[in-house]
Amino acid sequence: MKLDETITLLRQGKHVSEETVFQLCLQAQELLMNEANVTHVDTPVTICGDIHGQLHDLLTLFDKSGGVEQNKYVFLGDFVDRGFYSLESFLLLLCYKLRYPDRITMIRGNHETRQITKVYGFYDEIVRKYGNSNVWRYCCEVFDYLSLGAIINDRIFCVHGGLSPDVMTVNQIRAIDRKQEVPHEGAMCDLLWSDPDEVNTWSLSPRGAGFLFGKNEVDQFLHTNDFELIARAHQLVMEGYKEMFDGGLVTVWSAPNYCYRCGNVAAVLRIEDTLDRNYMIFEAVPAQDDVGNAIIPTKKPQMDYFL
Amino acid sequence: MVNSKPDELRETESKRVKVYILEENEWKDTGTGFCVGKVNGADNDKALNGKHSDFHRDLAAYLVVNDEGIPDKTLLLSKLEGNIEYQRQEETLIVWKDLSGQDIALSFEESTGCDALCEFIIQIQKTTETNISLVAVRSNDDGLGSVHEIITGPVNLPSNEVDQDEKVLMDSLKILNENTAFEYLRCETMEFVLKNSYIATLIQVFDKAESKHALRKLLLLSNIVKTLTLYNHRDILEQMVDDDHIMGIVGILEYDTEFPLSKANHREYLLHSGPHFKEVVPLKSEDMKSIIKKTYRLQFLKDVVLVRFLDDHSFNLISEVILDLQNCIIDFIQTEPFLSRLMALFAEKNRIENKRDGIRMLHQCVLITKYLEHSEKSKFFKALVRAGLFRIFDYAFGVETDSGIRILATDMVICIIEHDILLINTVQNELLNQHGVLDQEQHLPKRTSDTSQSALSSDVSLLSILSKILLTDKNLGLKEQVVQALNTLLHPEGCMGIDSDYNDTGNMDIVMNLSDGRGNGITNEALMDNVSFQMTEYFNNFYSQVAPLLFAPLINDSFGNTDDDILLIYLVKLVSFIATEHNRRISREFILENDILVNISKLIAPRHMLQLRLTVVRCLKGIVCLNDEYYHRYLISENLYEPIFGLLRENIHEDNLANSCLLDFFRTVSSQCLQAQELQSTDKKNFIILNKHLVKKYRDDLIAIDYVPFTQEMIRIYDEVEGTNTLTKTETQITFNSEGKRTFAELSEAKITSKENNGEETLTFKRAMEKLTTAQPPKSIKKDFLSNES
Repeated sequence: MKLDETITLLRQGKHVSEETVFQLCLQAQELLMNEANVTHVDTPVTICGDIHGQLHDLLTLFDKSGGVEQNKYVFLGDFVDRGFYSLESFLLLLCYKLRYPDRITMIRGNHETRQITKVYGFYDEIVRKYGNSNVWRYCCEVFDYLSLGAIINDRIFCVHGGLSPDVMTVNQIRAIDRKQEVPHEGAMCDLLWSDPDEVNTWSLSPRGAGFLFGKNEVDQFLHTNDFELIARAHQLVMEGYKEMFDGGLVTVWSAPNYCYRCGNVAAVLRIEDTLDRNYMIFEAVPAQDDVGNAIIPTKKPQMDYFL
Repeated sequence: MVNSKPDELRETESKRVKVYILEENEWKDTGTGFCVGKVNGADNDKALNGKHSDFHRDLAAYLVVNDEGIPDKTLLLSKLEGNIEYQRQEETLIVWKDLSGQDIALSFEESTGCDALCEFIIQIQKTTETNISLVAVRSNDDGLGSVHEIITGPVNLPSNEVDQDEKVLMDSLKILNENTAFEYLRCETMEFVLKNSYIATLIQVFDKAESKHALRKLLLLSNIVKTLTLYNHRDILEQMVDDDHIMGIVGILEYDTEFPLSKANHREYLLHSGPHFKEVVPLKSEDMKSIIKKTYRLQFLKDVVLVRFLDDHSFNLISEVILDLQNCIIDFIQTEPFLSRLMALFAEKNRIENKRDGIRMLHQCVLITKYLEHSEKSKFFKALVRAGLFRIFDYAFGVETDSGIRILATDMVICIIEHDILLINTVQNELLNQHGVLDQEQHLPKRTSDTSQSALSSDVSLLSILSKILLTDKNLGLKEQVVQALNTLLHPEGCMGIDSDYNDTGNMDIVMNLSDGRGNGITNEALMDNVSFQMTEYFNNFYSQVAPLLFAPLINDSFGNTDDDILLIYLVKLVSFIATEHNRRISREFILENDILVNISKLIAPRHMLQLRLTVVRCLKGIVCLNDEYYHRYLISENLYEPIFGLLRENIHEDNLANSCLLDFFRTVSSQCLQAQELQSTDKKNFIILNKHLVKKYRDDLIAIDYVPFTQEMIRIYDEVEGTNTLTKTETQITFNSEGKRTFAELSEAKITSKENNGEETLTFKRAMEKLTTAQPPKSIKKDFLSNES
């Protein structure tokens, strides 16, 4: 499979054959299997939040933050659903990862599951683009192999959602066999679903999965593991990012004008060798043809219709 | 005089009311009386003799209140005129400022009185004084602020001229936007749009503007059409996508203020490059053709043309309309002549391309049932099976070579069985009962030999077909689908059919047909009993006829080359599935007698792809977690943990998925042992024995895992147990038994009490059985019991 060719196609939002997707997914699995549940990453690195199928904004993200040829990235999950280009966004990241294995770290988000993608758009997008759901199944299989978190320079913990009452030390995450659909409860579920909030202790989450956790839990987790920051995504922030709990936790959001109508800006967080935090804010770009943001989304039906 | 007036302008009945006037910012009570709405001809003679069309114009309307004590005394005489805005405040007040600037309020004794006078004002607004208005004012639920709702009043409407300049279009856009604010204005506007062919006018304006390249006009038109979609009016949406308007509408929508420099190509797409409506079988109904086209076009609007623009509300409305039209289509298709014409495509002599189109069409039919109600879906699927769906499967899986088409056929199978696994078999059986076996054979002369045999019994023909595809077909996508279909077909709870609609009319339908066909009454209970019998048969048939074929690569130990690793992953997952979900005795017997565990554990060897190696480990983990004594002894006596430790040694100092997968296993063992110790229970003795086996054989490996606590815990538990005298004795005995070589035959000879047996049913199987047993027994059995007793 010609990786560079596929990357070019994907960047233009063009159709990639079912066979290519299958091969891509298989190779990605092999790469991901060698990663730990919580992978280690060195600075300098750029942390990116939810993408949600907004391919053109993902391209902007790479443009404005230096590009994958020169920089390392950690993606905090939620690559798919909502936007028009879930498939292209996810596959582009996989291709980059295959092309530059040490420059891209992909963490699983709560949308990277069979159940959620069936409801929030990815499944429908695939059926529309391919006429059947096989490509969706290939991608879901890859979702199961994605890491659950990352650690930057032993000091910054990256995760999609947040903390879990079942995880006091990062080492506890190691004994999870992550190759499964995200369960409805337990450590793996919480890491992908929890949210920080102004609460005194672990509290029920209105999302119905994961927990709400507060400053106490964050302080304790940081102290126990000798970390200084938890970087997570999972919640829309109109300003692109939001620090909480005296800078012990940050939410990073990287889908500008979320759902093409929320009017928010997006951000990525660059961690320097000194562990200094630099936020880069960017806005949704106006649409253009042939750069993955044609006016007409590729949701077009592909087949003749009898009905 | 009164009689000569049109009905709607008749004087109102008099209603009791208090009249207030605002003086120096205070409402002054001017007395109580009876209020009527009166219409007087300005010139009576003229009114009587004048032309009818001028009639209204010459009338003047008044609100009149006469004192209740002195009927001759008029407390109020106020003309409805000019642009007076009447406010109805809450239930009983009407307040307005007349043209002289006087604030007046009428406070009615009863709300019905207020209703009557408001109705009068509405009539006058609609006929003679079109510039007055009536507004309802209610306080908010929270008591703060108020809500204004226009009841009647003048409505600004967009121009309907064919020649419109930019300013007129701009005004139209503004008006249409403003009019969305109030229900009344919306309704009036909608009526205008529909009655005056406003959309056709817009298209005419558009054609002119486009030929003159008047970009600003084009953008304004686009915004006007978008605004019209926000009115959420079904008739307008349907008009937009009918044959006369669709091209104009998508043409207008090719221009977009957000992207003023570019233009979409919707018209080109619909006319040339995009999908086209294709009549596989003549519909013989113009209405239906138009509905099908409309459905497609609405989807095009929703998914492509307006996708960035629609708000949730309009999105939902379009979806609803589409759903409704799809319902019509599905209803139509079920009408007999159409389905049989469609099935006729699959007669041998027909062209292959026709058959393929037939499958494509049916696939689309099945896809659109996704959002139908459950019973509607059952009805449609049953109609398909009755009409001969199996003939299509015979063609697709027996004759067809194009995997694209086979994928579509499998997709249909999945849709139908996921909806109701028993449906296909039930209807097939019903057909057999109706027509008799020979007749059926004549109907389906093209059946391949293996399907014709099994189609007659409790049917595993579908399982056979799918198993064969999985093992032989090269198309990976098809394999994926087939595995999903097999999983569904092999799920015990689904096979019980309990979750589906046993009491819906669709099934009653079958019952009725059965009794008609055989001339004897068959009750629902009997049907239920039949289901239980069928299911047992079904699984027996699976294990005797299909499983040996399906799992052949794992039985013969003929894995072939590593290219088959993907297939082996599917098969190992299926082993895992039947071991955990099926009746334990049947599945275990099959798995152990055929050496499947021994064979799959060979797949942990390094020459296989890691995904497969780990799938096997997970399969074995799952079986260990069943806490089943036979499996536990077998795994130890066959030394099947050895390859797992081989894999561990490769990865013992790696932090990767293989390592995590194995750690998860050790964590399970240690926590189960801890539970066994804490509870002093023998329930978990399997794990104590397993722990002993592992620590004894692999102590050094476990010690080397020094980065998690539970491997050390396993060693501690072992050492503790070995050091405890009281436990040692029994443990040794058990260990002796378990580690002494025993063949499976010996194992199965071991007496299994019925109690143990119950404990071994899987959860889903138990649930299914519970549901079955709660159903009433067949009446015939009840009778037998009674007669025995007496």
